[in-house]
Amino acid sequence: MNVLIIEDEKALAAELEIFLVNYNYICEVCYNGASASEKIGVNLYDFILIDLGLPDYDGLELLKEARKSNPEAICMILTARAEVYDRIKGLDLGADDYLPKPFSLLELQSRMQAITRRKFGLKQNLVDLSGFLINLTDRTISYYNQEIGTITKKEFDLIAYLLLHKNRTLTRSQLSEHIWGSIINDDYDSNYIDAHIKNIRKKLNAYAPPDWLETVRGLGYKIKVNG
Amino acid sequence: MKLKTKLTLFNTISKLVIVTIFVMLLPVLIKSISQRYTDTRLLKQKNKLLQIIKNQGIKSYIESGESSASYYTPLKEDYVSLAVDSLPGNVDTIKNEKRKLEGDTIEYRILSHNFKEGNKKYMLEVAISVDAINETTRPFQNIAFMILLGMILLTILADQLYSNYILKPLGQIIKTKLIGHKFPNFGPYDKVKTTTSDFEYLDISIHKMIETIESTFQKEREFISNASHELMTPISILQSKIENMFEREDILDEFKTRLLEMQRILNRLKSITKTLLLISQIENEQFLKEDKIRVSELLQEVYDEISIRLQDKNISYEAVITNDCLLVNVNKFLLFNLFFNLINNAIKYNRENGSIRIFAARENNLFTISIIDTGIGISPENLPHIFDRFKKMRQSLQQDSFGLGLPIVKSIAGFHGIKVTVQSEKDKGSTFKLVFPDILIET
Repeated sequence: MNVLIIEDEKALAAELEIFLVNYNYICEVCYNGASASEKIGVNLYDFILIDLGLPDYDGLELLKEARKSNPEAICMILTARAEVYDRIKGLDLGADDYLPKPFSLLELQSRMQAITRRKFGLKQNLVDLSGFLINLTDRTISYYNQEIGTITKKEFDLIAYLLLHKNRTLTRSQLSEHIWGSIINDDYDSNYIDAHIKNIRKKLNAYAPPDWLETVRGLGYKIKVNG
Repeated sequence: MKLKTKLTLFNTISKLVIVTIFVMLLPVLIKSISQRYTDTRLLKQKNKLLQIIKNQGIKSYIESGESSASYYTPLKEDYVSLAVDSLPGNVDTIKNEKRKLEGDTIEYRILSHNFKEGNKKYMLEVAISVDAINETTRPFQNIAFMILLGMILLTILADQLYSNYILKPLGQIIKTKLIGHKFPNFGPYDKVKTTTSDFEYLDISIHKMIETIESTFQKEREFISNASHELMTPISILQSKIENMFEREDILDEFKTRLLEMQRILNRLKSITKTLLLISQIENEQFLKEDKIRVSELLQEVYDEISIRLQDKNISYEAVITNDCLLVNVNKFLLFNLFFNLINNAIKYNRENGSIRIFAARENNLFTISIIDTGIGISPENLPHIFDRFKKMRQSLQQDSFGLGLPIVKSIAGFHGIKVTVQSEKDKGSTFKLVFPDILIET
């Protein structure tokens, strides 16, 4: 899929590109609004990531242009601007999603996937992990047709996030940010992820040992999927 | 006590004291004045009589052969008597004495004087009855009393009116500039009308102070807002760099562990920045208050997020909602964070097997939510500082926090007009009580 990254911070644009290329996206980068406007007018993209705080261009103008010449594209706004979340939400900018800086690259990728799924109405998203069937659409886990109802919403969020980034080690910080990111509190180094994982393992163990949910010593957790 | 009340009280009391003293002295005073007046009258009469006797001789009063003669008015209010004095020595006195005149004993003010005329000594007595004197002084005394009372009442009234008038600007300054203003948000400057220069000075000084405070607050808010915004982009870049490096397979686990530490520290920086930004956004009123949510629903949402944290120390949690009500004109995101932080603190500072109880009910007609924990408590000397930013209590130093949890609570509560009070006993636990204003409760 083609992604246009419009970001005036070159260092950040470079990291976005590295990350997305790693996830098999084809990327183009613009550092200012003028060149972005040109590119939007000429090429067709699947994703357009727009930083609202461009020096030469109003990001919202760019969004309008993108909507016109790239109506199929998924537009995401990345911003550190002074607007409060509430107001941006209320503005109804016509963007598909909004990600305030600073954000985790994993979060960006998971949002991009979620929108793709929503937009193209992909059929049931099922993953089989040695007997455990994880339904990402209905958000359920079952073991040989027997639904495991004890898994909480938070626990499923964790499994889904790990599954989305399968075979990669996710750190506790990354997992915390995903499930508690919007809550503002003054803990910065909690071990509650461990407690969640412990609970998940206990609940799944009643059916079969979930060997696919691995602890990577000293680093974090990962879900291993073969093939 | 108000200045006006004090002045009125002093005014009235001082005047009443003066009146009382004067009323008590009045009879004595009037008596002595009237006595002096009577005595002068008696002396004048005596001198006149002596003059007549000198000119016309004693014969005109005492027939020869008689030893005495008295002259008095029909009602015996006064009399003059002349008699041959057989006693030795000179007499010249004025005093009160009783005399018997035709069977009536009457008290008189009597002037006695003896003198020689020819070869005989005579005693002259000029007298006015005491009753007659009193009959003229009593009305005088009453009139004096009435006039005095009237004058005092008039002056009290005048003082009262004038002090009311002159103190009015002070009352206005207090009412419009000091009371009813939510610090640090003051309204526009409204000059108080006064001709008293002291009040003018006071008014201007207060206004200048308010302006200084306001602009300082404004600057601080702007600074925090700008600084945290400016920090977001570099944090974002660093975070992306660390995440990308972490994913590379050619990096040793040893270095990945160090990257992880960097990520943790960056998270801390991010948390602090986000929290400061949130507080400054609340203080700049950049949030809307348009949400509605039931108290039970809100507490359940917080519980769902936070229940995992209860496990570690095996803390029991109980929410008793006696009067569930619908909160209106609130910001749900902010209220969620308020309760999350309060309950998170109740967990963080709790003991093993401790408990957290939440009570939501109407108390004295006000909707109140209390969060009671069995934690380490707060010592009295720390209690006034718990809402200060970056203030960490000694016992909480081991905790992974940076002292912004309660400042968030305070900002959000202040934004909604919720009153927060804390009661705490060291090693016993703390109670945080939230009192909701009526405007947030749907009736």
